[in-house]
Amino acid sequence: MAKVAFNDEAMREVETLFSRYPKKINALLPLLHLAQRENEGWLPPGWDTYLAKLCGTTVNHVRGVVTFYNMFRTVKPGRHHIMVCNCLPCGVTGGGALLEHLEHKLGIHPGNTTEDGLFSLEEAQCLAACDQAPVMMVNEDLRKKVTFDEVDAWIKQTRSSGE
Amino acid sequence: MAQEKLLLLKNIRTKGYAADLAAYRAAGGYKALEKVLGKSQGGMTPAQVTEAVKASGLRGRGGAGFPCGLKWTFMPADPKDKPNYLICNGDESEPGTFKDHYLLMNDPHLFLEGMILGCYALSCHHGYIYIRGESMYLIHRVRKAIDELYAEKLLGSNILGSGFDLDLTVHPGAGAYICGEETALLDSLEGKRGQPRFKPPFPAQAGFNGCPTTVNNVETLANVPFIINNGPEAFAKLGTEGNSGTQLVSISGHVQKPGVYEVEMGHNLKSLIEDFGGGVRGGLKLKAIIPGGASSPIMRPESIDIPYDFDSVMKAGSMRGSGALMVFDEDTSIIELANRTIRFFNHESCGQCTPCREGTFWLKNLIRDFVDNAGSEELMQRVDRVAGSILGNTICAFGDAAGAPMQAFGRVFPEEFRKHFLR
Ligand SMILES: Cc1cc2nc3c(=O)[nH]c(=O)nc-3n(C[C@H](O)[C@H](O)[C@H](O)COP(=O)(O)O)c2cc1C
Ligand code: SF4
Ligand code: FES
Repeated sequence: MAKVAFNDEAMREVETLFSRYPKKINALLPLLHLAQRENEGWLPPGWDTYLAKLCGTTVNHVRGVVTFYNMFRTVKPGRHHIMVCNCLPCGVTGGGALLEHLEHKLGIHPGNTTEDGLFSLEEAQCLAACDQAPVMMVNEDLRKKVTFDEVDAWIKQTRSSGE
Repeated sequence: MAQEKLLLLKNIRTKGYAADLAAYRAAGGYKALEKVLGKSQGGMTPAQVTEAVKASGLRGRGGAGFPCGLKWTFMPADPKDKPNYLICNGDESEPGTFKDHYLLMNDPHLFLEGMILGCYALSCHHGYIYIRGESMYLIHRVRKAIDELYAEKLLGSNILGSGFDLDLTVHPGAGAYICGEETALLDSLEGKRGQPRFKPPFPAQAGFNGCPTTVNNVETLANVPFIINNGPEAFAKLGTEGNSGTQLVSISGHVQKPGVYEVEMGHNLKSLIEDFGGGVRGGLKLKAIIPGGASSPIMRPESIDIPYDFDSVMKAGSMRGSGALMVFDEDTSIIELANRTIRFFNHESCGQCTPCREGTFWLKNLIRDFVDNAGSEELMQRVDRVAGSILGNTICAFGDAAGAPMQAFGRVFPEEFRKHFLR
């Protein structure tokens, strides 16, 4: 099992984070983001306990926070985590169709990951880019005015390269 | 042809504007900071900055339209045992709203200058900028701009030799619309679940870590440099009575040219759609608009020949909110809009209050019946009743934000609901 602790480099980021807040606990959200970045986009078992110790709080508090926010995951996402905006204005200007297309193309419903672990799909709420509909976020990358052709080509290429 | 009134987007509309510190300065940026903190022009006291903002009539652009200067006067003038905080609300998760992202992405320093001036006015020495976690690209962008300021000693200790010290930190959210509500935002910033707090105490009494705190929207703060540079009168002269200045409007939906536009407060709503949005796309007719984000009641085309500002839209039975104007063509199903709206609010309710948690859940099921063409007159009334029972009965304004638009769909478009009755 992988070690449940930040490496030295990440630890330096942790120290910087702590220095930006009056209390260690205030840094919990950025710490959780950092932990996910270091662990392929999720929080493997043990990280809640580790982070709780690190900022001097209880495991229960950390779990409460993790379950409250959409972005924190206790299940491993696909290598490419796709969030498609299907909210109010996007939904009626192509977002709904794009989501359906992706479900079909990937063979999964939102909330799931493809068997090869390459893609996971999520239905997003408004991503603050409604004028660029349809939009989707792939990991940290916001893609605007997405066309089916573009998506198909990207999926094909990702599948053939396996990454 | 109507033109934009450029106060916040002036740089952005200039071709080739690089949006870094050097470009912002070359365009006259950080002059207001110089005027307030620098020695050459005598400087301004924090109270004078607050007074100027008050006199300008600037109202908060985050949704509620609360007078900004007045809010600042609620803060202790001379913090002793506890520090004062200014927190910028850059959560921007209201469906239809994207103007804060646009501004921060394309001219971060304009906002940062306003933020620094705000911190000075409130005697705050560490300000936080809360940006939603999904928008990592934006978080990186603003952090980079902040690094530039530290490098040029416009942040840190003794800024411009004034003796004023200030640090700024960007705090990432993690995917929860409710964290845009200011007290939920404070809990989120403290490292907790983002659940709204009972008021009172108000944030100015007990906010971030229990200290006096003011929360302001990105666009609100971005107006401050103009007010300092040109005087409050120049700002107050723009707009309509009680609604001064310009506003950023996010136009989305079925228009030819969706995007962010800057116009004076009180610009005609119809003109926004036609002259800036380019009218409904594909030659179709306009069916409905939602004037101020998903929390604002829907309107019919007949009632939109009005000034677009806080008070006029309110008088017309809806809200200007965060300036998110959503436009829908004749092919749009109103039931679909109702369905999308309630799915959003049900998903985002923090769950603390029973009327909000249960009400949004039942409304979602009720609207589902209409989607499945199993509606009835009785169910229509039930939608109205359940939505009405949320209003005013919750800890935070999310309850009203969810209930009011759900009542409006049936009130404004009853015939659309009747199309989905069980036959
Ligand atoms: C459910 C809910 C969501 C909100 N979301 C935001 C938001 O994303 N951005 C924002 O600036 N204000 C938002 N607000 C309003 C804030 O609570 C607060 O009034 C505002 O940030 C104050 O800034 P202002 O006075 O400069 O407008 C929201 C309010 C509620 C009730
Ligand atoms: S009104 Fe809704 S969102 Fe606001 S505190 Fe109550 S349950 Fe939470
Ligand atoms: S509705 Fe999709 S980005 Fe706003």
